[in-house]
Amino acid sequence: MNIKKLGRLVVPYLIWMCVLVGLPLIIMVVLTFLKSNALDLSTAEFSFDSWRLLFSDLTVRTALKNSVVNAGIATIICFIIGYPVAYIVANSNFSNKLIILVLTVIPMWSNSLLRNNAIANLLSERSIVNDVLNNIGLSFIWPIRGVFYDSGFSPAVVIGLVLTYLPFMILPIYTVLEKIDKSLLEASMDLGANKVKTFFRVTFPLSIKGVTTGIIMVFLPSFSGFAIPKILGSGNLVFIGTLIDSRFMNRNYNFGSLLSLVILLIIFGSMALIFKVDKEGETLI
Amino acid sequence: MAKKLIELRNVTKTYDGSAVVDNINLYINENEFITLLGPSGCGKTTTLRMIGGFEKPDSGEIILNGEIVNELPPYERPINTVFQRYALFPHLNVFDNIAFGLKNQKVPKEEIAERVETALKLVSLPNFAFRKVSNLSGGQQQRIAIARAIVNRPKILLLDEPLAALDLKLRQNMQYELKEMQRKLGITFIYVTHDQEEALTMSDTIVVMKDGVIQQIGTPTGIYNEPKNRFVARFIGESNIIEGIYVRQNLVSFMGVEFDCVDIGFEDGEKVDVVIRPEDLDLIDPKGAKLVGVVSSSIFKGVHFELCVMVQEKEFVIHTYENKPVGQTVGLRVDSYEIHLMKVDKE
Amino acid sequence: MSSKVLSLSRKIVLFFRRPKVEKTLKITISIIKWVFFVFIIFLLYLPIFIIAVQSFNNSQLMYDFTEFTFKWYGMIFQERALRQAIMNSLLIASLATLISTVLGTIFSIGIHSLTKKRRQKMVLLNQVPILNADIVTGISLMLVFKVFMYIFPDIFGFTTMLLAHIFFCLPYVILSILPKLSELDDNLYDAALDLYCKPATGILKVIIPAISSGIFTGMLMAFTMSIDDFVISYFNTGQGFDNVSIWIYASIGRQMSPAVYAYNTAFSFLMIALLIVISVRSSLKKRKNLIRFSQNKI
Repeated sequence: MNIKKLGRLVVPYLIWMCVLVGLPLIIMVVLTFLKSNALDLSTAEFSFDSWRLLFSDLTVRTALKNSVVNAGIATIICFIIGYPVAYIVANSNFSNKLIILVLTVIPMWSNSLLRNNAIANLLSERSIVNDVLNNIGLSFIWPIRGVFYDSGFSPAVVIGLVLTYLPFMILPIYTVLEKIDKSLLEASMDLGANKVKTFFRVTFPLSIKGVTTGIIMVFLPSFSGFAIPKILGSGNLVFIGTLIDSRFMNRNYNFGSLLSLVILLIIFGSMALIFKVDKEGETLI
Repeated sequence: MAKKLIELRNVTKTYDGSAVVDNINLYINENEFITLLGPSGCGKTTTLRMIGGFEKPDSGEIILNGEIVNELPPYERPINTVFQRYALFPHLNVFDNIAFGLKNQKVPKEEIAERVETALKLVSLPNFAFRKVSNLSGGQQQRIAIARAIVNRPKILLLDEPLAALDLKLRQNMQYELKEMQRKLGITFIYVTHDQEEALTMSDTIVVMKDGVIQQIGTPTGIYNEPKNRFVARFIGESNIIEGIYVRQNLVSFMGVEFDCVDIGFEDGEKVDVVIRPEDLDLIDPKGAKLVGVVSSSIFKGVHFELCVMVQEKEFVIHTYENKPVGQTVGLRVDSYEIHLMKVDKE
Repeated sequence: MSSKVLSLSRKIVLFFRRPKVEKTLKITISIIKWVFFVFIIFLLYLPIFIIAVQSFNNSQLMYDFTEFTFKWYGMIFQERALRQAIMNSLLIASLATLISTVLGTIFSIGIHSLTKKRRQKMVLLNQVPILNADIVTGISLMLVFKVFMYIFPDIFGFTTMLLAHIFFCLPYVILSILPKLSELDDNLYDAALDLYCKPATGILKVIIPAISSGIFTGMLMAFTMSIDDFVISYFNTGQGFDNVSIWIYASIGRQMSPAVYAYNTAFSFLMIALLIVISVRSSLKKRKNLIRFSQNKI
């Protein structure tokens, strides 16, 4: 059939993906076993230094801990806020498309670095909100920026992460909630479950797919990002993203690649998880 | 004699190693209403799609007007199709849907308007031209799909279960209308269905298929009265099938009793399958009857009653106008010309 | 003891079941619900609002609102570096959107016509750039492009950034189109061929219009992702080819020109206006069709 011929249209995409996904993977793996100045192969020598460093360097451990703690807290908060929001939208009478646009796409037209910079200013001792409030006679000080605890938890960073990535939690959950057949809920009520029971026994289990995607979509960028910690963490905290960035900027591609592979490992794990719950990728948009 | 319009010679099509259509031979005459009938997965739709040009046969030839057309793409065949779920173009209105084929053939504008109007009249939906397709009912969409195909004046119209999605009453009306349309237009219709009643009502010729193999080709009455094997007998109408022995010419024995019969072509002493249609069995007084049994169930079916009668452990289905209470002993009678004999299936 | 607890709990349940109480409870819950909802939207838009306020602030200081002014809007194209960054961002986003929409549509049709198992594998592969951390994607692409530099020494800058943006935009386009394709009647394409369309015309005349809403969504996603990207652009630029994000990142901690707030606010409003115009136009088109239909009926 002609449709089968159309399948050939995929071939260029496959090649494109092989070159841009497969090839760098190989380059990175090779780089971890070398000691080189950036990609200069003429002076490169075989070395296990990067691997040794990965298991011995305290900075790596601290960075991983800080990243996990802040990304974890941000993900949990996003879930606690995002699920109800998605639920409200899915069950509202308004034009859902419009609300989803307002919740997810439109904020992104405002540059995310600029938004985080605004948050940073808001959380600083002297912020425009405080200024305006001062002008009308109210005053309170709000110094959160730069504060962090021993666990690595930095409230300012978490606020920035939540406000940046919340849409990525709302969207997939909304997508699955909207697709749930309303007659299933009626059937559950008909079989004697009340509203609360129906939610926990029918709606929530059916939305797990979206929740999984949402959690991954929030956790991964929060965990690996380096711009938001840099803007909101005021430089005192090391994150895995900032560490990778600094390694590559110092032309140490070897250790940088190894750290990237660590992140990639986590990502592959999550992808396996997503593939298990959502084979057609319908919750990703 | 009618002229052969299209012919399939030794056509085979396999998917993933299994033959969906297995060495089919078939010819279709001009102005014929032919139905491919069979259960789902029997290869009837694949056969239709090969005629339409949407699939290529792995081997064999499809011959149209004396020319092999295996490689001819659909857009170069004088054949149009009414698809199963209509496949109307959702972004076009009714007029543009029907005009689609004509526009691609570069028919002048005035003629397009004229022909679309005629087509709409033919399917009894005049004034529907500027409606959105999605706002139409199933029956209306179905008519538009037919109009979209016949407006191109094809030599052959392929219909792939076009009535399957309609409710019973509408389906029966459309059966009648389709038959009328075919007579009026003089187009060859190749119709695919799994509904035996539909096939019997409309067709000039029925092709019964199973597992990619043609079981029987014949007229509706021929196939109903003279099924070639158990599958055809069971699939077309209801039937009682009993194992028997062809004693000698004009005599067959089953259920331990000998009956007169008229079918020929068997050897003396050969095992045969005996087919008796439920409406061909008559209830008589048990005294002196060749077959005697007890009524085990009775269901009112509107025009007739459907009785089940147990005769020596074998259940007979009988359609009759008079009801008998469950448990009553009855006698059964069958006329010799209504006993149909078939070769025993090898399986 | 336990019977006392039981009767008490029953009393509580009965109390809440009383029609009046039930009604007030319902109203309270729905009020809480909407307050919560509005509050979340408020939080999401708070930074944007602050940026907007700042863009009208006469003072350069983030914490000191002195006077209302439009002067920064006039400054948007005055500062050379910022103007160049804005031009670059818009150029890259438009080109990346255009190219990934066209290619994404073609690839989607290809993926859709694969067998189920292969399709699932392609969908999984397609998710790699979406799920992959930006930093890993950015570095991966940079490494590949660095290798390419042996053949094309001058690619870093515009070319690499454009390729990188196409790379992460494509999957979003494909993911928005695929569901639309699977909603289509399987025979739609066959019907086009049956009605005398050649294969390519069939896709253009029938498939593309039928999935146009998916294509539009994909375009919107691609443009949004591209215009907002920082990390991947950051690793894949060169020869001073900065986009707005990179410009901002470089200015953080230093005194940032408020013109960027003006640009950001103006851009958001233009995009929203554009979206409104598009949706109004499409609803007008629908109404036109309706009028045509009703006239025809009479």
